[in-house]
Amino acid sequence: MKKAYRDNEAFIEIKDLTFSYKKSSVILNNVSISFYKSEITAIIGPNGSGKTTLGKLMSGILSSEQGSVFLEGTNIKGITLGNIGKKVGYLFQQPERQLFNPTVKEEIGFAHLFMGEPKDKVDKKVSKIIEELSLQGLENSSPYKISRGERQRVALATILINEPSFLILDEPTTGLDMIKKDKLSEILKNLQQQNIGMVIISHDKSFIKSNADRTLEVSGGEINEV
Amino acid sequence: MKFDPRTKLIMVFSLSTLAVFVIDIYLLLVVLLISIVVSNYFKENWDFLKRTKKFITLLIGIVLIQSIFSPAGEILLSINHFTILTTGGLAKGIRVILRMLIIIISATIMTGSSPREIIQALIQWKVPYEIAFMVSLSIRFIPILGEEAKDAFTAIQLRGVEIDKLNLTKRIKIYSYMFMPVLSGVIHRAKELSTSLEARAFRAYPDRSSYIKLELARKDYLIMFVSTLFTISILGIYIIMG
Amino acid sequence: MSIVIKTEGLTFSYSEQEHNILDNLSMEVKKGEILAILGLSGSGKSTLCYCLSGIIPHVYSGKLSGEVRIDGHSTQEMDMTMIATKLGIVFQNPETQLFFPMVESELAFGPENLCIDRDEIKKRIDLTLDLLNIKEKRNEKTGHLSGGQKQLIALASVLTLKPKILIFDEVMSQIDEKGKNAIKDIILQLKKEGKTVIMVSHNLDNIDIADRIMTLKNGRLKRFEESL
Repeated sequence: MKKAYRDNEAFIEIKDLTFSYKKSSVILNNVSISFYKSEITAIIGPNGSGKTTLGKLMSGILSSEQGSVFLEGTNIKGITLGNIGKKVGYLFQQPERQLFNPTVKEEIGFAHLFMGEPKDKVDKKVSKIIEELSLQGLENSSPYKISRGERQRVALATILINEPSFLILDEPTTGLDMIKKDKLSEILKNLQQQNIGMVIISHDKSFIKSNADRTLEVSGGEINEV
Repeated sequence: MKFDPRTKLIMVFSLSTLAVFVIDIYLLLVVLLISIVVSNYFKENWDFLKRTKKFITLLIGIVLIQSIFSPAGEILLSINHFTILTTGGLAKGIRVILRMLIIIISATIMTGSSPREIIQALIQWKVPYEIAFMVSLSIRFIPILGEEAKDAFTAIQLRGVEIDKLNLTKRIKIYSYMFMPVLSGVIHRAKELSTSLEARAFRAYPDRSSYIKLELARKDYLIMFVSTLFTISILGIYIIMG
Repeated sequence: MSIVIKTEGLTFSYSEQEHNILDNLSMEVKKGEILAILGLSGSGKSTLCYCLSGIIPHVYSGKLSGEVRIDGHSTQEMDMTMIATKLGIVFQNPETQLFFPMVESELAFGPENLCIDRDEIKKRIDLTLDLLNIKEKRNEKTGHLSGGQKQLIALASVLTLKPKILIFDEVMSQIDEKGKNAIKDIILQLKKEGKTVIMVSHNLDNIDIADRIMTLKNGRLKRFEESL
């Protein structure tokens, strides 16, 4: 039975989650927190505190034996990564890790073409996204030969073409200078206007100050609102 | 008790040699047992066992494949005239598994020594230092590359490619796409690494000094002697018995 | 004040490129100063670091003209071995600068390459760990350290070669606040020891400890004026 979700219902909910890597110390200790589509949440904390781990748990990339993660009310364990990707997009800290094709154009349309969608439909979607993210002129460039900021936008494009309702961005400001960070802020604000919820994992204080609605700190296995 | 890495290398080499040349299954089991005991002495943890659990299906698969493709001896199990298990085939499969296990487990003997020590062991054995360093550095990056491959795999799935719904040809095609980011990662890292090495004067001279010096103690000579003697005896018996 | 690094008419472009990334660049670095070079991504900051440290032309190639002189000697006439004892460079990514799990092995690596004897190497390791205030990390495994600490180890492994000049190429961009402050403190300490430091960054906050700031734009250096 499908429930209708209002904006103040949690889009992603984490309940009693405990996580540790193999035999190392516990990274997250019995944490519970909710994330909403209507806001941009920042996750801060020292390196190694578990920020990225939290992001990966939220998107189903990692899973834990103890506790649960709910995506729009459904336990994320029962959803395949492919289906999660339709709702939640994950931007890796290094965009290179999610780029596989010789040209930008092919890269953006890759997954849809591969799964059998008709070419003209895919081409239309790709053109729209290229315009939205100011990637005009780079259609035939190699994703590996463009600047870091452009590469990040291409990675973002490959995610946005799935029209997810939520985005998780892992340290998106790494390697970006002030001008490029402003450009990124612009894009995020646009996305927010399209009612896409976001989580930004970052240690960049000024970026978070100007972009986040709510800030959470991960430290000592706990999550606290700041 | 700390053993020289060269002693450990000799042990690994001895056990691996036996794994390759011994045919008798019972003797292979003995070698495997020795490997486990020795490896246990040098290692602190048993987490490789957990990893082996995942491979059990793979191992059973290998045994079955060996059995199907090299039938010999009496037929143990057949379905519709198609022979699956034979005594000879089964034996062959078991031998393959035992050999693999011996080599993998004996390699873990080396984990107690730091890479710098192993490099030094090779250098003191007259291996050119460039080769010793390069091999060690490459090994260090294997787990990192594994992580990147995992990330690439995850990223592709999150884009909507449902791996489980794909047929074999398409699956292979997807894996070949994943190759790109991992390869570019390797090239990028290699470039950065070689720059760092040059900036620290690596290969300045044909020789280099070493902060650590490896010296063999009496127990090292003893173990190396026993290992070599044991291995040569077994091989010798094999050659004599034809 | 003596000049430790001097460039004249430095012009460089990579082989596949048409335009010059560094264009007739001239600069002088005074002994004992902390010089910061500010520039947007793609402005050629790293390329400039490579030229100053001899990596261009000895490791990377391209179309190079003009001169770079360290202590009066041209980088083209020296080889990397000679340069390594005069100038050390720390890069952005700690992962590709640290080769060994044990901190001690890492620090010993440079001097070993120069065939320096064991006792001298030990002295240098002790001195460097002391200088950077990380004596307790001597027997730690680099894998267990934070990003900032790893950068300190990378710096330490360069310092054991006893260079008088240090170049920091965007070393703080992947590090958190705590790590950045630790590195800044160390740079100030290095200045006290009489070393010359060149820091390159796109972020003004990272270089607030500098004596002098220049901006790199259109392949040339200019005095810093409030905005990029």
